[in-house]
Amino acid sequence: MIPLSNFMMLSAALFVIGLYAVLVKRNVIQLLIGIEFMINAALINFVAAGKSDKNYMGGQMTALFTIVIAAASVAVALAIILNVYKYYKSIDPDKLNKLRD
Amino acid sequence: MEQHDIIPVVSLLAVLMPLLSFVLCMFFVPKSISGKVAVSSIAVSFIASCFVFFKIWNAGNIHIQHHWFTLGQTSWDVGLLLNNLSALMILLVSGIAFLVHIYSLAYMKGDENIDRYWGYLSLFCSSMLGLVIADNLLLIYIFWELVGFSSYLLIGFWRTRDAAVQANKKAFIMNRLGDLGFLLALMILYSQFGTLDIEKLFGDGGLFHLSQFTSGEWIAPLGHISYVWLLVCGFGFVFGALAKSAQFPLHTWLPDAMEGPTAVSSLIHAATMVAAGVFLLVRVSPIFDSTVLITIAVIGIFTAFMASTIALVQNDIKRILAYSTISQLGFMMLAIGIGNNGAAIFHLATHAFFKCLLFLCAGSVIHEMHYAKNKLDADCDHQDIRNMGGLRKMMPLTFVTMVIAALALCGIPLTSGYLSKDAILISSFEWATTRSFAAKLIPYLAMLTSWLTTFYIARLIFKVFYGELRIQGDKTERLIHEAPRFMLMPQLFLAVCSAFFLFSVNPLSYENTWLLKVFPGSVALERIHSYHTVIPALLNLFAVLIIYFAYIQYARKEKAMFRENTWLYNFALNGWYFDEFYHQAIVRPVTYVSKFSFSIDRKVIDGLVDIVGKSGVLLSSIAGWLDRKLIDGFVNLAGRAAAGLGNFFRSFQSGRIQYYLAVMIFVVLTFFVLRYFSPAI
Repeated sequence: MIPLSNFMMLSAALFVIGLYAVLVKRNVIQLLIGIEFMINAALINFVAAGKSDKNYMGGQMTALFTIVIAAASVAVALAIILNVYKYYKSIDPDKLNKLRD
Repeated sequence: MEQHDIIPVVSLLAVLMPLLSFVLCMFFVPKSISGKVAVSSIAVSFIASCFVFFKIWNAGNIHIQHHWFTLGQTSWDVGLLLNNLSALMILLVSGIAFLVHIYSLAYMKGDENIDRYWGYLSLFCSSMLGLVIADNLLLIYIFWELVGFSSYLLIGFWRTRDAAVQANKKAFIMNRLGDLGFLLALMILYSQFGTLDIEKLFGDGGLFHLSQFTSGEWIAPLGHISYVWLLVCGFGFVFGALAKSAQFPLHTWLPDAMEGPTAVSSLIHAATMVAAGVFLLVRVSPIFDSTVLITIAVIGIFTAFMASTIALVQNDIKRILAYSTISQLGFMMLAIGIGNNGAAIFHLATHAFFKCLLFLCAGSVIHEMHYAKNKLDADCDHQDIRNMGGLRKMMPLTFVTMVIAALALCGIPLTSGYLSKDAILISSFEWATTRSFAAKLIPYLAMLTSWLTTFYIARLIFKVFYGELRIQGDKTERLIHEAPRFMLMPQLFLAVCSAFFLFSVNPLSYENTWLLKVFPGSVALERIHSYHTVIPALLNLFAVLIIYFAYIQYARKEKAMFRENTWLYNFALNGWYFDEFYHQAIVRPVTYVSKFSFSIDRKVIDGLVDIVGKSGVLLSSIAGWLDRKLIDGFVNLAGRAAAGLGNFFRSFQSGRIQYYLAVMIFVVLTFFVLRYFSPAI
């Protein structure tokens, strides 16, 4: 029986890796990948918690549901990125700064 | 009764026509027809005056009034007073003005400001005619000023000439001095009687005759003052008249006034305006007591004598005539002084004709000389009689008319001047019989003056018309010819008027003159028969001798009897140094005082103002500094603080997503850390 804390350690490591990618990468696609990391870190927590809910499998269900939504949102995000690239000829997040003051 | 309604209207027409012409010439009609407008208006005025004269003369006075304005309790009337005196004057003024207008048509032809000339001349005629028919001393005063003003305008008509500008200023200022006396007299009369109406004051049973003189007091209906004020009042009128009639000591403006056009000199400074002083004295003559009268007589004879001596040696043809005018006006003053107003007015009338004629002839001569000078391009004074000579062959008609005028001026029988001058001389002898020794000198001085008159006018005639022309040039004889027709016609007409028959059927005795009979006072003196034959005979005998001497001296030039460089000659040539004296005694001190007060004004008053101004500038610069540094400092500080704060917060808005995320995470982490270590939150 693998204790819950191991899952949480894995999840936290995965989340921090994702966070790192989100914060430092110079490519929006890589940012997106970092976001996926973080989503999946959260899902690991859901699945690990779902282990103690054997009747309803609420954690697993939420994870599945979230994966579907994440896939959809990734599709939307990629479409946005494509448009951004058309407009800026770049996907470096530092250059996408038209919203600054 | 109908006539009494129409006469005032007609006389008003005579005054208003020139005024209309003035307005038209100055503002409405083009230059080319301004002359026609002025001449036709004065012609209408002349015809109206003739009508008025024949209706009024010896046929009773007309005095109509109309309410003018009310000052407090006092109501003022404006009106016309037509009696023998004003009827004669209105005819004289408009008649001579008419002739001079015709003369001016030719004389002023081609002047570039001709419309201004006609306008001014019309203004003068209107004010002079108004002056003679006004019924009220205040109204007379107003017209008196207007006459002086239009004379000022006309003297300075050629305004680009410096001498003309100086002359008109001088004339105006000296006339203003006289006006002061006039005004003073008016104020005294008004305070004593409460009216300035001539008829009410001096008419039969008028207010003035109601005043009583007891123990040095003058008791009048309204006032009760010292007798001295009666003298002051009389001298005030006299002073006013002295300035207008160019008598000593205010005579020096008239010779300078000759800078105006000759036609103007003829009308204004010989025939009409200068006679206004005499006219005024006759109008107010009841007010003069014996002291004032003797003063008038002395001033008159002194002026006559002085001016005639000056005229002896002048070289400018117009200045000779100007001094002659002063001298003749002196005779009129003498006549008033001895109480013979009729003789004064009679001499005024005859003098108006012959002196006007003399000036017109002089104008013709100057006109031709000027023409010749311009043609020959000669550099000489065309008014200097030393440059003239021999003109009788070239201008025969002018010569004849001028000789007639000169004879009238000398008082040779068969001329009008003989009658009027004898009237004055003989009555002055009659007057002196009952007076002291000093007073007896006056008629003798008058006689001497009369001979001097004969000499200077003979000198003028012989120098101008006899001998040889002294202007250089080959064809000068052909250049100078008779004056134009429009200039000759008035001359001929005036020459006829200078003869005796216009005034009396008897050429040798003035006593039958129609003009004298209507004036009271002229027959009041006791008649002394011997005077009436001896004096004219003596006068004319010497006059003929003097003319002969002048002929030898100036026409034939056989020998020079008079040297021309003695101090007496220079004394007369410089007009007894009156101008010099006035310049040193009055003009220079006044200029000095004005300069002094000017410097005070500039240094002290302006200095004070400057100090106030400078301290104001200093104060405001301090205030400005405070404002800029202190008040603005606070405002700027607030602004800068806001800007700094804004910039600080703005620096967060970098537009970099990752930066925002990092901050967000940092904040959340901080929250959790705080939450973890302090469970109280």
